[in-house]
Amino acid sequence: MSSVRLPRSPKVLVGVGIVAFFAILTVIGPWLAPDNPSATNFLPNLGPSGSHWLGTTALGQDIFSQLLDGARATMIVAIVAGVVATVLSVIVGVAAGYLGGKTDDGLSLLSNVFLAIPGLPLLIVIDSYLPASGRSNSFAIGLIISLTGWAWGARVLRAQTMSLRNRDFVEAARIIGESRRRIMLFEIAPNLLPVLASSFLFTTLYSIGAYVTLAYVGLTSTAVWNWGTMMYWAQANNAPLAGQWYWFVPPGICIALIGTGLALLNFGIDEFINPRLRAAGLSGKVRRASGLPRRPRLGYTPVARRSPGRVVVTPARPTPSSTNVGA
Amino acid sequence: MDSATTNLTVDELNDTVLEIEDFCVDYGWGETAVRAVNNVNLSVRRSRVLGVAGESGSGKSTLVYAVTRLLRSPGVISGGSARLTYDDPTASDVKRRTVDLMAASGSELRAIRWSQVSIVLQSALNALNPVLRIGHEFDELLKTHRKDLKKEQRHARAVELLGLVGLNEDRLSRFPHELSGGQRQRIMIALALALDPQLVIMDEPTTALDVVTQREIVNELAQLRARFGFSMIFITHDLSLLVELADDIAVMYSGNVVEWAPAGDLYSAPRHPYTLGLLNSSPPLSGERHELVGIAGAPPDLSQPLSGCSFHNRCPFVLERCSRDVPPLRILDSSGRKAACWLHDDPTTVPVALRRVALATSPGEPAPGAPMTLAREEIR
Amino acid sequence: MSDVRHEARLEARHLSRHFVVRSGHGFVRPKRIVRAVDDVSLALRERRVTAVVGESGSGKSVLARMLARIVTPTSGELVLDGTTIELGSPRDLAYASEVQLVLQDPFASINPVHRIANSLARPLAIHGIPKAELGDRMRAALSRVSLEPPERYLDRYPHELSGGQLQRVSIARALCVNPKVLLADEPISMLDVSVRLGVLNLLRGLCDDEQLAVLYITHDIASARYIADETIVMYAGNVVERSEGTALIDSPAHPYTQLLISSVPDPSDPLRRAPEIEDRAGQGIFPDVGCRFAPRCPHAMEVCRTSAPPMFEVAAGHEARCWLHESAVKVSVTRREQGGNISTT
Repeated sequence: MSSVRLPRSPKVLVGVGIVAFFAILTVIGPWLAPDNPSATNFLPNLGPSGSHWLGTTALGQDIFSQLLDGARATMIVAIVAGVVATVLSVIVGVAAGYLGGKTDDGLSLLSNVFLAIPGLPLLIVIDSYLPASGRSNSFAIGLIISLTGWAWGARVLRAQTMSLRNRDFVEAARIIGESRRRIMLFEIAPNLLPVLASSFLFTTLYSIGAYVTLAYVGLTSTAVWNWGTMMYWAQANNAPLAGQWYWFVPPGICIALIGTGLALLNFGIDEFINPRLRAAGLSGKVRRASGLPRRPRLGYTPVARRSPGRVVVTPARPTPSSTNVGA
Repeated sequence: MDSATTNLTVDELNDTVLEIEDFCVDYGWGETAVRAVNNVNLSVRRSRVLGVAGESGSGKSTLVYAVTRLLRSPGVISGGSARLTYDDPTASDVKRRTVDLMAASGSELRAIRWSQVSIVLQSALNALNPVLRIGHEFDELLKTHRKDLKKEQRHARAVELLGLVGLNEDRLSRFPHELSGGQRQRIMIALALALDPQLVIMDEPTTALDVVTQREIVNELAQLRARFGFSMIFITHDLSLLVELADDIAVMYSGNVVEWAPAGDLYSAPRHPYTLGLLNSSPPLSGERHELVGIAGAPPDLSQPLSGCSFHNRCPFVLERCSRDVPPLRILDSSGRKAACWLHDDPTTVPVALRRVALATSPGEPAPGAPMTLAREEIR
Repeated sequence: MSDVRHEARLEARHLSRHFVVRSGHGFVRPKRIVRAVDDVSLALRERRVTAVVGESGSGKSVLARMLARIVTPTSGELVLDGTTIELGSPRDLAYASEVQLVLQDPFASINPVHRIANSLARPLAIHGIPKAELGDRMRAALSRVSLEPPERYLDRYPHELSGGQLQRVSIARALCVNPKVLLADEPISMLDVSVRLGVLNLLRGLCDDEQLAVLYITHDIASARYIADETIVMYAGNVVERSEGTALIDSPAHPYTQLLISSVPDPSDPLRRAPEIEDRAGQGIFPDVGCRFAPRCPHAMEVCRTSAPPMFEVAAGHEARCWLHESAVKVSVTRREQGGNISTT
């Protein structure tokens, strides 16, 4: 039996679609761009038209090309930061949760410190020490963002690991003589996969926000196009006041879309990864088709009778309060 | 009507607390639905104990949760009826009322639940709110259902209820985690009895407890029942415990009731191969030690289509037709006991082990194990 | 009954495990020592099943974990095949390959994310079996526990198997490194009634056919009677009664054993009296002085509250830790009193 199956929920499918769209854009976006995003070849401040779908900037650059080109840097930073932060949080979280004692005390202190420090100011401080070459390097920026983004995941993974640590299969692994490293990596970590995937998605989302913010306040290289720099230039040229919505709204929509996609994807993680959760449920579609009440009500099991030709269902009447046994 | 109650008088017939007919429960709907309870007919008589025995997946818990409409999604009741008959203390003229639980509205159900039907679950730790003191649970329950009681009266009632189950009133100020498993289960029983219900459903109440504690609780239940006369459905996988406790026992296997009989008869003279296997699966505490075989194989996966008798692939006496036709639950003899097994269709196919004469009902007859022939005309 | 051919594989001598707990609330919480296992000695012999019967809190599971060396004893010693084990030293692979433990809950003790093949291959790989042999060894292990044909199970995930099948996989995992001692901690209590006998018969068969020494831990005294060559009853960390075979079940000498047996539902014996209701208030109280069962015991005497009873021999190969049998031969004395010397009165 395959452990991976396509998700069924429409929410998840939409999420997969959005994320896949931006993933493809990451790869081919710069090639699709009709013009060089930095070249000032055109008339400035043109509105959207057939030749410039999103108009031009105050310097006469094609905004649509900037949008397509900017997808790559934004996504690369987000994915680098997401991966590195997730790896860091697994190492710190699982080690703290499984080893316990002084190791746990030390690692917990570390992650608490990182949780307590406000992320953005720290980012700005570290970033301002970067040489100019570093600021234009998506990987370097990604690494810095990951530094401020791993602590939350580590806390969650530590708590999960602590609950797994005393499970029988971990004890069974100790009995057969597994090493601690192997128990952490091969027995515990796979059971953390749903949490891990969810943590990865949200760290990625956080990284997009952090990167865009850095760019927006002008702390990344202006030579590299991303959605944040676009908004930086739009702001610097008073685009909002001039009513040039086509300059700053499209990058904002892109950020909102990818965020929505990642969040929707998160719904499907459990269904996607955990084979046991795919038990036959009553989806909304089935409920409508069978005439059962839309929402399951606690303490009121639906009764359905099959009479010839059609399904007769006793309607569930709305009640003011929950039906709690004994209370 | 093909019912267990054919040999009972009309009075006894009418004196059922709960009547379950052709009851079916599915998990899911449509093609992916899994039939968890299949055409079950059972009745609980007033002041009697119905024991329901079965393994995990037999549908025994699903049945009672569905009957009380407490089964969670994706459970759907897909057929049959369940009627509860109870004495209405508020009614002035007609005291006895019958409610069709399948047609009852949410408010009707809430009015019946706990005041007429209460449930004791296997894990008292999960059923009790960990952040509330025990006294609070009693107070809330009485406040909801007995609005006429004042605060002091509610407290007095709680103390009285604790006394019934042998607990001191100082337990009221404790949190659930401060009590032992046995004490928590006693609290659950006290809560279940708080409103003098007609029917108490016990879902494996002693399975998580030590055998000594189980014994104490079972003895207490017997005393409480003698005193208050409530009916009980007792669900467990432990057939020996049921034989001591129950008046009648229904044995369930993969959603079907495969045998129904008075407790003593079921123990001394099982009629269904599964019941026989279950009885042989518990090593005895006395007598010669010898190897027992139990039941080969494992219960069927209900999500896979099954033909014929659901037990046929584990049955030592399997006939050719068992894999083809589903055996109905039918009355076997004048005692009204029933079994769903093709072996009893033809007297010559009944193995010796399934022919024993019941001990309890006929003390003058030979001991079990002696080759006996049943009154043939009673086997249809 | 004791047979010289039954060589002791694993011996526990005066094994104890104490836990320090803090009770109450606030800043100053008094420390209390809980004697989870207190001065337990036993020998697991080849081709013999030793059953340990006890309720929750009796210390039987801690005892099994000490024997498997995943819990370190507070004091006492372990002797494996005549060699005393250094208890301070970390548990090494050699010990793991000699002594294996099967846990209670088969659904929890096998990692749900791995296929059965993976769960079986790990112990083999750890214990140095070359890759080429893994497949054959895994199939052999599954055949040993009657999972036939083995190929059908290797690629499955745990949630696709039933409880009985999983417990067999769990036993196969323990056996695949060819241990001499198999510790089974309540191996059937989570299983359906109809498959319990199969697992018990399997354990008995492995013990007889493969010279295994088996420790069978249970709360179900009837199953101990079915399988055991030697029976031990534990209460609150102490061995309160022990006998060759199942003598202590057929004629229990200790009041606790009597209570335990009379509590078991047994419809085959309708004339049996309901157990004497002991003082329930004493439940959960284990005094540090005197007999630990005294608060619940219907026969408690003055001496029971002041000094802990030693083991008395009530019959050949049958001992009970109870002052009621003082007139019998005293076979051992609790360590706390006389430093573990064996004396007779």
